Amino acid sequence: MQKDIFVTGMGIISATGINRQETLLALREARTGIAPLRYLDTVHTEFPVGEVKRSNEEMCRMLHIPETEILTRTSLMGMLAVREALEQASLHGKTGLRIALVSGTTVGGMDKSERHYLDYLENDTKNAYIAIHDCGACTEIIADYSGLFSITETISTACSSAANAIITGASLLQDGRTDVAIAGGCECITKFHLNGFNTLMILDRDPCKPFDEHRAGLNLGEGAGYLVLETGESVRKRNVKPLCRLSGYANTSDAFHQTASSPNGEGARLSMLKALEKAQLNPGEIDYINAHGTGTENNDLTEGIAIQRVFGEKTPPVSSTKSFTGHTTSAAGGVEAVISLLALQHNFIPVNLNFSTPMSELSFTPVTKKETFVPLSHVLSNSFGFGGNDTSLIFSKT
Amino acid sequence: MAKEVYLWATRQISVQSPLREDWMDDPLYYTEPYVRSIDPDYKQYFPPNTIRRLGKILKRALLTSHRVMEETGVTHPDAIITATGLGCVENTEIFLDALVREGEALLKPTHFMQSTHNTISSLIAIDVHCHGYNTTYAHKGISFECALLDAFLQLKNEQIATALVGAHDEMTPNCFVLLKRTGYLGHSGNGFSGETAVNMLLGGQWRENALCRLREVAFLYRPGKGDLQQSLEHLLQQSHCCLEDIDAVMIGNNGREENDRIYRENCPILFPGKKLLRYKHLFGESYTASGLGVHAAAVCLRQQRIPAHLFINAGNGEQQGVKHILFYNQFENKNHSFILLSACGK
Repeated sequence: MQKDIFVTGMGIISATGINRQETLLALREARTGIAPLRYLDTVHTEFPVGEVKRSNEEMCRMLHIPETEILTRTSLMGMLAVREALEQASLHGKTGLRIALVSGTTVGGMDKSERHYLDYLENDTKNAYIAIHDCGACTEIIADYSGLFSITETISTACSSAANAIITGASLLQDGRTDVAIAGGCECITKFHLNGFNTLMILDRDPCKPFDEHRAGLNLGEGAGYLVLETGESVRKRNVKPLCRLSGYANTSDAFHQTASSPNGEGARLSMLKALEKAQLNPGEIDYINAHGTGTENNDLTEGIAIQRVFGEKTPPVSSTKSFTGHTTSAAGGVEAVISLLALQHNFIPVNLNFSTPMSELSFTPVTKKETFVPLSHVLSNSFGFGGNDTSLIFSKT
Repeated sequence: MAKEVYLWATRQISVQSPLREDWMDDPLYYTEPYVRSIDPDYKQYFPPNTIRRLGKILKRALLTSHRVMEETGVTHPDAIITATGLGCVENTEIFLDALVREGEALLKPTHFMQSTHNTISSLIAIDVHCHGYNTTYAHKGISFECALLDAFLQLKNEQIATALVGAHDEMTPNCFVLLKRTGYLGHSGNGFSGETAVNMLLGGQWRENALCRLREVAFLYRPGKGDLQQSLEHLLQQSHCCLEDIDAVMIGNNGREENDRIYRENCPILFPGKKLLRYKHLFGESYTASGLGVHAAAVCLRQQRIPAHLFINAGNGEQQGVKHILFYNQFENKNHSFILLSACGK
């Protein structure tokens, strides 16, 4: 017997804002967070990015921790978003509950490693950073900040990491392995993956144009997004108000290529179909798709074809909010889950910025018109990663 | 009614003889602090371009996956779940080194493309055209337990019928230097640093050649006083088992005092009077070494014997007839895990 999984809290930090309120405002006002490079130390200033508009020191102050603390940018953003999610779900102090933190990241502490790598090799001055380089360390830093967690897990499936963390969180709840699960992901921009994506020639020198005929690549972003998940039993026991239900989810593999998606979008098609099946919804019942929509030639074509294969001629409104946040890579599934929930909660569809020319291969165009009220009941969010890790989540009003 | 979960096949490439269980009777012993795995002759298994294209961690993962799929006849596992503490270290290092030493102008994509942790799981899916569930856990010393629990829950609850679960970590010379600095590896008196490549095929049904049953998996982060005891009791209860039934407890002693002390303190309280087994004397330390530990325990349950060299306490000869092995792993006294394995029976 499947249990209902409810979302009772959410936290977000990205280029569009440092919390839910700022994010909601930016989305409603169609104000992008993508801007010229400011915080990352790189020669590639030609690429606009979706940086969180706070320095590490400023984030330390927001968290009331000493600026001298040995921390990575990824974990700072994770701590802020998890804190906001816990607050909304009224989780603090001694809860007597089993609470799991399932967090997705891939670059982990690479921001420090790429700065101190030669020291790592040659001397003992930066050992503290070696110890927090790996993905698991990042999750444990976030867990230790609140001290609430009795299970910690880290998922690393590149750009679908956070979405897969949400699935793992749900699976723990389904089997009664935890009372509450905080799930999502975090990732800062590093020179490592900025350069990696640059060598793959998938970075746009202008603000990205998802689903546009003349799209020229993605803008890298950073941030963190987390959901508080719990069962109906826990919601009743704790007397908290659910924001929505995680009604469907699926993880599939495109099984095609390490860095490119298949021409017919088979993995993406399957993840959307299986998520619909899990949610017991017909395609026609989805009111909005928050697409993966990176703005690369390959992704948007594949995802667009997959959407057409699943939804036929009646494609629901589609937009990619990566035109606001940039591609927040491992955090994307969490950041976009929160954005999808804000849309659901406030009944509006975030627009797809920078779109002008429809893609010749697709029958639909993304949402560009700002409307103040669009009633939404079910929202689907896609996150696709390197290696063909395709994940779809569906959120439904309770 | 929840399904029972069986371990149908398991293959390893490690510092012991690859793809075989020679370590049961003829273990290889090492005295140096840094040991790399014994790679099989890949020419026997892969075309030359595959050998060139894939780094060590990927070749090992691919070959062990082929072997367990062949042995079980499962050509398309319903789930492919990988555990790796550090991912594709070699490719990451090559790209990082070039970035740091030569700057941002001359980089090439080759190594970046195979640098993410999920390259391993994706490679296997691409190789066998497997569109099913595919994920990767990267959480220090309990990465493997996370992956195993994911598979266990899906099999138990009949969401899937088969799962390929892998544990993979490579240790490059530079990475060894770094982790020696943090104190994790390579200090005098410690056991050696090894590498892990193991793939297991799990299924929701009994079959003739299955190695053992996977009864339960549980882990805890920073357990408070009494939490471990409570977790263990719950796990045994869930498995309709009691401590008296357990033949031996396998633990992760590795010669490093900070590590071994935790076992020394906890084992007498958690499992009073139980015989303790080790595995890191054979396979060395690595983030996913517990995958090799479970592999070793499973082989013992299949062969119905525990060789003398696995016992920590001296004076034990080979033990015949084994029904239940409990696996207890901890990492930095933060992450603690229990896994219960039982002989098959029907």
